[in-house]
Amino acid sequence: MTMTTDVRAAVVARGLSKTYGQGDAAVHALRGIDVSFATGAFTAIMGPSGSGKSTLMHCLAGLDTVSSGHVHIGDADITTLSDKQLTLLRRERIGFVFQAFNLLPTLTAEQNIRLPLEIAGRQADQVLMDRVVETVGLRDRLSHRPSQLSGGQQQRVAVARALISKPQVIFADEPTGNLDSRSGAEVLSFLRRSVRELGQTIVMVTHDPVAASYADRVVFLRDGLLVSEVTQPTPQSVHDMLLKLEA
Amino acid sequence: MLRTTLAGLVAHRLRLLLTSLAITLGVGFIAGTFVLTDTIEQGFRQLFTADADKVAVAVTPKDEDIPHEVLAKLTALPGVSGAQGLVRGTAPLLDKSGRAAGSTATSGISVEAGPLDRTSYVTGTAPGGPGEAVLDENTARTRQFEVGDTVTVLDLAEKRRQFTLVGLIDVGVDQHLAYTGAVGFDPATAREMTGEKGYHEIDLAASAGVSPETLKQTVAAALGQTYTVKTGEELARKLALDSNVELDYLVLVLLLFGCVAMFVAALVIYNTFNILVAQRTREMALLRCIGATRGQVFRSILLESAVVGLVSSVLGLLVGLGLGALGLAALGRFDAPVPTGASVALTPRTIVLGLVVGLLVTVVAAVLPARGATRVAPIAALRSQVEEQTFRAGLARSLIAGLLLAGGLGLTAVAIWVLDGNTGLLVAMGGGAVFFLGVIVIGPVLMSPLSAFAGWVPRKVFGVPGRLAVDNSRRNPKRAATTTVALTIGVTLMTLISVITASTRETVVSSLDDQFPVDFMITAQYGRADGMPLLPAEVPATLRTLPEVGLVAEMRQDDTGEIASLPDRAVFRPEVLSGSLAALTPGTVALSEPQAENLGAKVGDTVSLTTAKAGKVKVKVAALLGQDGLNGTMPYTIAAPDFEKYFGAVGPVRVYVKVKDGTAADVSRRAVEAALTAYPTAQLVSAADVRGEFDEAFDMMFTIFAALLGLAILISLLGIANTLSLSVHERTRESALLRALGLTRPQLRGMLSIEALVLGLVGALVGVVIGVAFGWAALQTIPNETVFIVPVGQVLLYLVLSALAGVLAAVLPARRAANASIVGSLAAS
Ligand SMILES: Nc1ncnc2c1ncn2[C@@H]1O[C@H](COP(=O)(O)OP(=O)(O)OP(=O)(O)O)[C@@H](O)[C@H]1O
Ligand SMILES: [Mg+2]
Repeated sequence: MTMTTDVRAAVVARGLSKTYGQGDAAVHALRGIDVSFATGAFTAIMGPSGSGKSTLMHCLAGLDTVSSGHVHIGDADITTLSDKQLTLLRRERIGFVFQAFNLLPTLTAEQNIRLPLEIAGRQADQVLMDRVVETVGLRDRLSHRPSQLSGGQQQRVAVARALISKPQVIFADEPTGNLDSRSGAEVLSFLRRSVRELGQTIVMVTHDPVAASYADRVVFLRDGLLVSEVTQPTPQSVHDMLLKLEA
Repeated sequence: MLRTTLAGLVAHRLRLLLTSLAITLGVGFIAGTFVLTDTIEQGFRQLFTADADKVAVAVTPKDEDIPHEVLAKLTALPGVSGAQGLVRGTAPLLDKSGRAAGSTATSGISVEAGPLDRTSYVTGTAPGGPGEAVLDENTARTRQFEVGDTVTVLDLAEKRRQFTLVGLIDVGVDQHLAYTGAVGFDPATAREMTGEKGYHEIDLAASAGVSPETLKQTVAAALGQTYTVKTGEELARKLALDSNVELDYLVLVLLLFGCVAMFVAALVIYNTFNILVAQRTREMALLRCIGATRGQVFRSILLESAVVGLVSSVLGLLVGLGLGALGLAALGRFDAPVPTGASVALTPRTIVLGLVVGLLVTVVAAVLPARGATRVAPIAALRSQVEEQTFRAGLARSLIAGLLLAGGLGLTAVAIWVLDGNTGLLVAMGGGAVFFLGVIVIGPVLMSPLSAFAGWVPRKVFGVPGRLAVDNSRRNPKRAATTTVALTIGVTLMTLISVITASTRETVVSSLDDQFPVDFMITAQYGRADGMPLLPAEVPATLRTLPEVGLVAEMRQDDTGEIASLPDRAVFRPEVLSGSLAALTPGTVALSEPQAENLGAKVGDTVSLTTAKAGKVKVKVAALLGQDGLNGTMPYTIAAPDFEKYFGAVGPVRVYVKVKDGTAADVSRRAVEAALTAYPTAQLVSAADVRGEFDEAFDMMFTIFAALLGLAILISLLGIANTLSLSVHERTRESALLRALGLTRPQLRGMLSIEALVLGLVGALVGVVIGVAFGWAALQTIPNETVFIVPVGQVLLYLVLSALAGVLAAVLPARRAANASIVGSLAAS
């Protein structure tokens, strides 16, 4: 196995494995994964249910501890950091979009967007703010609370929030999983655009070949192992690859 | 359905634990009250029964003491094997410095060894002759006497007599002896020392074969109606009954606090079940979806509350047992005249009462939440996210709250301006309670603005966690209001008591300052004679000869307490309403304002006085006097020469002394004390002494109330902890999201602590305001003029302590939230 370190990689994982439980009950969710995600690229992670996609993302993002192996975000090896350091790193360098429950119900859309900056005690870049809000198309919804927004709007607010702190990488776990195809398409093209126009790095977990086709590259997982990848994916090529994997 | 309920109970056992604790403490307090008083009662019964066994028949007087001849007559009666007369009078014991001990003369009693002797000896024996005496152990301890010491007691002629101490006795539950202290002599010496001619009780022993009943009839036939004749058993029952009257009062006061604790517990339970129901909306909806009826859902929640209530009540009974023992130990420590020997026990009554109260309160508090649960629509099972509770004050709520608030204020206003005295106070407190109910109803509406107010500083100071915390505290106003109102009850009552104590203390102190325009006051010891005790007539003159003493003023009055001689004008400064004190020459009188009103007299009129030496005399009114701080104005005040002429050279009731300018107070005091050695029963007090005694009494009272309220406050803190931990549980995913976005563990913990701080502060703020307001109202119902003081330091302390207590209550929930794994929490449903 060649250990090439891409100097332009935003996130690099080496020999990453994760085991839940012990003895007979042990579940090997990840069994030694080497992968890197290039800066300014939009990468999708796919694979059958239970293949370890979410686990991989959580380990990459420092939300969960690894059993062995290393994860580098930029120049930091996050597997060696304390909880406090990890928290600060997440605050400074990582953005998140989850499948559901992304927003604090007590805050307005705008307050939710600004939240990471405020936690970090940073000032919002007003130009970026305007641009993000413009791109997300939520200007007239900024003062609304999450309960007054549709699911698609909520996810767009979540994406805007992930973008606003200009993180090194955004991790998204099935961001369109709860959305219909039209709202899903809105969110995805917005992610796509933020990669093109803002140079954002995005790693997204998804089940949907169409969603994956928005990415520059798709990596495939099966039983905790990286088994294949497709660059410049189309829905058709992704679909074919999935069929091949499940066979 | 039963199985589902029980499974739910087991699943939520941790959450229910805090709730149970609230009920356990409440029931514990009430059960403890009964355990304590039952044990005391039991102790009395044992004590009196033990006494009754020794005495076959007891004769007590109806008014006058029983003369000596009666004892002789009774001894001679057939069936009487022994008779003993009990003497009780006063015999002032001198302390080691040679002054009469205590402000009231020590009681002198007869102690006679023999089968009829009911005295309980701590050490030593009964006095064996005229040179020996026994002393009660409390007096012995405070005055530092031991068996073998020589004690000095004043006889009837105020002559010092010396006795060897041969024993220490326990006066047990005799309230009078416990108060005055007692020195015991053999019967002849006792009669001689106290000057009592008769007995205050005669006890008889029956010869073999004569029943107490028979003896009682014999004695009754011999004595006629003049005396009360009882068998030993009847006497024991009467004594027990008398002591119960005071116990009933204790029960009442303790139960009042128990009810407060129970009410607070009910609020905590109500809140917990509300939250549990809200959290289980989906579970309930699922049950409804698969066919459970509304009734079944309702009953399952009530069943749950009944199980919780029962379990915690049983635990509460155990706690009550402990509290009862604790209370008994505390009473023992303070030498309260109650028997503390009996073993503590739960009577069936206590058990039934504790279980019923605990169960009832729990189930009743759960009824509303259970009804709420039945309103859950089956469709709610399908909604993905639990909706945020939005609260809008309904018309009904506003109306009810308005009625209660207005009613409470109205009642209080009536109490202040129409009624007065005890009824006024009771009505004012009732008004306060009604007003408080109004506050509970309107609470959710007040919650949001109050949180914003209390959270203003945290929001500014603590950054994002602070802002989120304040938002969270306003998130569910209904829940927050119920949580805080529990604390508000405790803080209100604490503030109320603080205000009343501080104001009364200030009133007393300022009236003391009025009463004491002097440095020392000399009075005679109480208890020797009936009525006002008088100082020897020569005391003022003796004091005037001292170079260390400035002014000496004396108060003289006749034995009806109606006519006073005009004291020195330097200490007697009444408000002169009309006429003038200068015109108070012989042959004239000054009337107090109420007396003038009674007589319809005014300056220039003539009134008549009844005097001891001159009979009825006619005098002219020279002045009308208002109140004087010194000791109130007597109905009639006459010039000193007149007083001497009408009443002779009677001793003064009080002598006031001022230190000579330039002399140190303690030097002057020693000189006065030295001059008073010849008069051992004269009591010298300084203004500082009196103030110190009052301060002690107030502090004591305050401490007792605070301790009794402590439990209610503890329960309300449990409520805050409970609400927070349930909220933490509800917001698991939110916390995880915040952590993912970069909130550190300490920040998350801080956020919850601040939320608790805001809740605590809001609860305390409301409590302080209501407490001060109703403290003022309560003071207005007191007829005497009272100053109104807000003990600002104390009140601020309550605010700070409440805020801190909130933070303390948040420690565990906050730890749980901060230590939860982010990934696990994100996955949580
Ligand atoms: N906390 C856990 N404890 C034990 N096993 C776990 C835990 N979380 C995940 N697993 C297991 O690890 C494996 C990978 O889970 P993961 O959630 O990463 O899958 P996934 O690819 O995201 O699946 P899906 O597409 O269904 O979301 C699965 O077999 C899962 O059962
Ligand atoms: Mg997954």
